[in-house]
Amino acid sequence: MLFPTISFAAFFAVVFPITWLLNDRNAWKKWFLVAASYYFYAFWKIEFTLLLLASSVGNFYTALLLGHLSDGRARRIIFWLAVTANLALLGVFKYYNFFTASLIDALGSLGISANLPFIELALPIAISFLTFHALSYVIDVYDRTLKPTTSLVDILLYISFFPHLVAGPIVRANKFLAQTTRCSRMSDVKLAHSVFLIIGGLFKKVIIANYLSTDFVDGVFRAPADFSSLDLLLGMYAYALQIYCDFSAYTDIAIGVANLLGYEFPQNFNQPYRALTVQDFWRRWHITLSTWLRDYLYIRALGGNRRGRVRTYANLLVTMGLGGLWHGASWNFCIWGLMHGTALVVERLLDLTGAPRSRIAAALMWLVTFHFVCFAWVFFRASSFDTSLVYLKTLFSDGSWRTTMTPLVGCVFVLGALTQIIPARWFAALQARYEAVPLALKVAVPFATIFMIAVAAPGGIPPFIYFQF
Amino acid sequence: MANADDIPAHQARRGNPVRAAALIIYATFALLILTIPQSLTNWLNDMNESPVQQVLLRAAEGVQTASHRVGLDIPYRTARATFHMLTGKEDD
Repeated sequence: MLFPTISFAAFFAVVFPITWLLNDRNAWKKWFLVAASYYFYAFWKIEFTLLLLASSVGNFYTALLLGHLSDGRARRIIFWLAVTANLALLGVFKYYNFFTASLIDALGSLGISANLPFIELALPIAISFLTFHALSYVIDVYDRTLKPTTSLVDILLYISFFPHLVAGPIVRANKFLAQTTRCSRMSDVKLAHSVFLIIGGLFKKVIIANYLSTDFVDGVFRAPADFSSLDLLLGMYAYALQIYCDFSAYTDIAIGVANLLGYEFPQNFNQPYRALTVQDFWRRWHITLSTWLRDYLYIRALGGNRRGRVRTYANLLVTMGLGGLWHGASWNFCIWGLMHGTALVVERLLDLTGAPRSRIAAALMWLVTFHFVCFAWVFFRASSFDTSLVYLKTLFSDGSWRTTMTPLVGCVFVLGALTQIIPARWFAALQARYEAVPLALKVAVPFATIFMIAVAAPGGIPPFIYFQF
Repeated sequence: MANADDIPAHQARRGNPVRAAALIIYATFALLILTIPQSLTNWLNDMNESPVQQVLLRAAEGVQTASHRVGLDIPYRTARATFHMLTGKEDD
């Protein structure tokens, strides 16, 4: 069930009032939301709900055990078993065939013929997100920064809650569980903020991301050798805008929908293409993933910057390489992550992480960062490493300045760029004005916006890019 | 800032964000169904056939006919046709 569909609208029209009617009976409300979330997930494949249930129940009891055991070897063993089990789930479904194929290729290049078995398994949607949610809970309980909950429904809801289940944002266990222990307060609902996130998300996905994708980016990346340098340059920029509008749309709608149900999710994007450094970019792009990787992998598992310079640089590369691979079973994702890791290392080596000394320096830093990020997206988007190389080779060798970009795509491209140019405070001011208008106008704004989106919408809505992760 | 839960009942009724959200959600859905009625009919047509689906489909077709008679669907059809004319796009 995709957010920008009538199916989801009908689903939410039922879930919203029942959630609030049950608000005084918190346990009932949570069970109802769990049932609704499992129904939402079962829309893709009903069998996957068993995986969701097994992961939730397994992590719930493991955390209880970790909470009861005193510090020592047994506790450490249980913890590592839980981490291994969670990662094994991800490994089997998402990476087994990829690593098997890579191993066969590697052995083949050494002249060794290996006949390793492949497994035919459908990739459960959102497995990367639910694994990170589960790991967040188990690690926090092991570190004793969070007490294990004795309420199974709280964990079932934390891992399966439908707004964040499929593509984030990745909500930390301590932040979410603090909200499940009490009834939601009506004052938790920030109406204007939620309405603007939802209609803005619909616009970004249905209009900007979809037209950029179907009318330009898909073709350019399918056969880059058939396009001019200008098309490939514009394709690189267009994909940067497409993936931002696609992914931020999903999490914006998720945050808005969760808030209408009385829950608060963290911000996931903050105009990432305004970043002056790659470090700054990761403070603005998929914030909940980058902070998850920073806290649990870079600092907790690898030691962060506490073990000397060389180790810090190695830690950055490992974190970003694994972060890249988290997105999908392909070396291209790993290369994309390693490129970002290398950029973070270079920024530290050149001491570029501080504020720029002048406006010219800031402009130059922005130009370099933006083009680095766009350049790296080529590896992220291309179907294979070879296609990425063809793309870059044609980009720098064709030299032709003709373009196949249509006026419609041009307009959508400009709208996408505006999402980065318009200052965030303008949106805040608009929300404040919306709060003050009469109810009839409060209805007119989302109605008129969705009406205009429907007028200009393409025939079908492709799935969100991050669904595959 | 005042907590909505601490506000007296008569004031809360006016300033209740959940009630306002409900009104916005259902009024928006209703207006969209009236002005773009074919979207609901198409969606129900795509669903697996069942007694409930048939009842809902008949109701949606009734709304579509009424909307067409009154002319509520004209703004959408006109705007969509203009968009197609300007962009050269077509419905699938």
